[in-house]
Amino acid sequence: MSTTFNRYFGELRKTRIWRSVFRGGTGQSTLRNSMAIQQNVFLHLLPTKVRTRMIDFNATWYLGTLTLGTFGILVITGILLMLYYHPSAPQAYADTKDLQFVVSSGQFLRNLHRWSAHAMVFLVFAHMFRVFYRGAYRPPREFNWVIGVILLLVTLLLSYTGYLLPWDQLAFWAITVGSNIASAVPIMGDKVRFLMLGGHFVNANALLRFYVLHCMILPLAALFFIAIHFWRIRKDGGLYTRHSEPDAVMTTAPAERPL
Amino acid sequence: MSLPENLKKFRQKFFGNSVSAFGWTSLILLILLAIAPAKNFFSDWLRYQRGYERLISRRSDAVTLRRHFESGIQQIWLPELGVVDRCTTCHSAMKEATLADVSLQPYRPHPPIPHKLEEFGCVLCHRGQGTATSVEDAHKSTLAWEEPILPAKYLESSCGQCHQRDLQGTPQLNLGRKMLRAYGCVHCHTIKQPDGSVITATDDPPSLTHIADKTSREWVFAWLKDPQAYSTTATMPNFKLSDDDARDISAFLISSSTPASLKLVQSSLDTAKKIKDDATLQTKASSLYGESFCASCHAVQNAAGNLVGGNIGPELTKVGSKVRPEWLQAWVRNPHDYDPATGMPHYRFNDEQVGELTGFLLAKSDADLLANLHLDAATPEQIAHGKRLVNDYGCASCHEINGVKRPENFAPELTKIGSKPVNQLAFAPGVDHNLYSYIGAKIKQPRAFGASLKMPQYTFTPSQVDALTSALLSHNERALTIPAAKTVPALPPSHYEPAGKAGQLIADLNCFSCHAINGRGGDMAPDLTWEGSSVQRDWLLQFFRDPNTLRPALIRRMPKFNLTDAEIATLTDYILTVYQSPKVDRDSMPLTGYPPGQVELGKQLYYSKYGCQSCHIIDTKQDKGYIGPTLTHVGSRLTAAWVYNWMKDPAALRPGTQEPKRNMSDDDARALTAFLMSQRGNEKQEAKR
Repeated sequence: MSTTFNRYFGELRKTRIWRSVFRGGTGQSTLRNSMAIQQNVFLHLLPTKVRTRMIDFNATWYLGTLTLGTFGILVITGILLMLYYHPSAPQAYADTKDLQFVVSSGQFLRNLHRWSAHAMVFLVFAHMFRVFYRGAYRPPREFNWVIGVILLLVTLLLSYTGYLLPWDQLAFWAITVGSNIASAVPIMGDKVRFLMLGGHFVNANALLRFYVLHCMILPLAALFFIAIHFWRIRKDGGLYTRHSEPDAVMTTAPAERPL
Repeated sequence: MSLPENLKKFRQKFFGNSVSAFGWTSLILLILLAIAPAKNFFSDWLRYQRGYERLISRRSDAVTLRRHFESGIQQIWLPELGVVDRCTTCHSAMKEATLADVSLQPYRPHPPIPHKLEEFGCVLCHRGQGTATSVEDAHKSTLAWEEPILPAKYLESSCGQCHQRDLQGTPQLNLGRKMLRAYGCVHCHTIKQPDGSVITATDDPPSLTHIADKTSREWVFAWLKDPQAYSTTATMPNFKLSDDDARDISAFLISSSTPASLKLVQSSLDTAKKIKDDATLQTKASSLYGESFCASCHAVQNAAGNLVGGNIGPELTKVGSKVRPEWLQAWVRNPHDYDPATGMPHYRFNDEQVGELTGFLLAKSDADLLANLHLDAATPEQIAHGKRLVNDYGCASCHEINGVKRPENFAPELTKIGSKPVNQLAFAPGVDHNLYSYIGAKIKQPRAFGASLKMPQYTFTPSQVDALTSALLSHNERALTIPAAKTVPALPPSHYEPAGKAGQLIADLNCFSCHAINGRGGDMAPDLTWEGSSVQRDWLLQFFRDPNTLRPALIRRMPKFNLTDAEIATLTDYILTVYQSPKVDRDSMPLTGYPPGQVELGKQLYYSKYGCQSCHIIDTKQDKGYIGPTLTHVGSRLTAAWVYNWMKDPAALRPGTQEPKRNMSDDDARALTAFLMSQRGNEKQEAKR
């Protein structure tokens, strides 16, 4: 069956449409393989070559990938939730109630979004701890560590802004407390809070602001920095493993397998 | 070590290579994902709808019922009322009268009510979470919803959200609202009605500015300690004061009192003293008490311990232990001398009669009340402390007290108490965690919520507590936001003042304590707004001279005020001229001279077609009707025009009357009028009078 598939796939790759999309052309040479990666807008973030020891579970515990996975879930469920949600008071609360009571699997959707958000924050921290204690932040990866810290902030802000959207008591008071903390910043604290809330209190303006931040600005920022983050992995010589150290002395090298 | 061995084998089998690991993981994920649609399928509302379909399939009118039934989530959406109610999703049979025998919830039909489900929804009356589609979320208090379904016993409160006037169908709410006014709740707590007006009290807490003239410091002390020990019906609640506090407050009240200008007639006082100590003279005096119908307003405990008499004035069982004789004789002579705002009428007693009544009342005493009670002369520190306590307890919210200003908003405002968030309440131990239990417990035993609270202890029966709770629950956020077009606003308070000399007489006699005129006054006696259209002049003159009751079954009657002929003429002329209904022209029909044939026809209609004798008496030997007034003299009492219009539409003349509208033809009404106008009683007796 695989030969049949390969035959048809080979035919497909020869078509003009395919060639117009994938510029790499056909062939099995190493150059063609690397061009297939490099010349694809999605795949060019990946290194042209990945060593199997880098994708071993013990090397990274897949924490970064899992974080990306939760981010993917959050984007998909988030878009679905947006279909039911008006960022206006008091309709926002009624919409979350509708999701709970009348939308098919609406509660599942909300719970999935919420738990994924919690998982993402947890995974981001776990990822950072692992990078920190393995020393993977050291040159040449120090800039990617900085990008990672920015991504941590974006993640936390996503989490924080999403908290207000159900527009219930918990949301209201959490954001009230949070924005009061912001106002403790010396000199410009009150201005910061005013900017955050679009007023002096948590009200309809704050809800709209947080909605735009949560659904538009912050996800785009996250995507932007995730792209840089991944691209830098490739530029910095792939994922960090103990082999990445120039003076690494490996007592038991894992068996090299062709990818 | 067999388990790890097994586990290893298990892992090898299912997750040994990447393809099967991926496959099995995907399968597990798929099963987990299937929970979401499964939970939908097994949701409460779908189960109940399937149950309803089973229920109606067994019934004879299954086809009709199934045609009415709509599956899927049902919703009543009323944006202007803020209603999104999905209750009818499970309560499918709300409007199916043929399912009246079904008692199983959620399939019980709604009992008949004057409102349409589609216009008001469910939550407006029943509370709970209307948007919810699961049993617990809809009915109970959950983490995200703290307003559970309202128990049936408080349901009348919901009527009160829109209906600010009393309704026939809501006796409990009416009672609660009356109590809010009558027990002085609104002296301390401000309660605004949706139209913005503030509820006013109807109790009449006495002014304490001249208290030392009226009673002794010992009595004030005993009263402060336990008002109900003096009178079980006392409105004043128990503040649970310590002996020292009661001592200091009584010291302050007596010391701040200023003398009133009371008229002292020594002869009255002497008569009183004589009667007080003589049982036979008291029996004679008791007939004056009876004739004056003091019992219409005041109650006295009889030998069996039952209260006999009205509740408009204070109970008099132990009044002799309370008041000073000098004060009492002045009060009986003319109460306005002591308290210009009192509801007590000014009887025109002569000095002898004043003495008689004073002596009779002074004899009503309880030797135990103030026995063994001795208060030392008050020190300035005690008086100062007493004044502080008077301020602390807000005494001046109800009573006028020299040197103390009435505090504004002494207690929390209760305008929105019926929707107060539960998370803002501090519960006493043992009180259920919901609003209505909180309100009930707070009324029943305020000090259980903390000994330092100022709210005093009332003595309410459980049904009174429920009535008050209902009345308070009706004051909520929703009541304030319901569009005005959907509400029945409260009647505006009437400040009607009759004019001229008659007005002065009406004020002096305090007619408004019992009678209502133009929306002002009490409800014990008939409304007199259209009295001028309804009665004949001769009858009214005679009635003032010697009031005898129209309804023999009543104990409370109109007192004899001993008016002079000139006063009677003034009042009668004023009533006949001013209190006329625009619907009735009193002179449009003759009082007498109806043809005998018409009278005879009226008699037949009276006894056969309309069966009036079931409520009224014309033939005293045969008729047994005690519900309506006796009609033996109706022909010399009422005007023919009034009787005719009354036959046609009683409620148009007196809203809320028990007399039914019989939709009679003009001829029938005329014949009945002719018959009734011929009922002039015993002419001889009439002449003698």
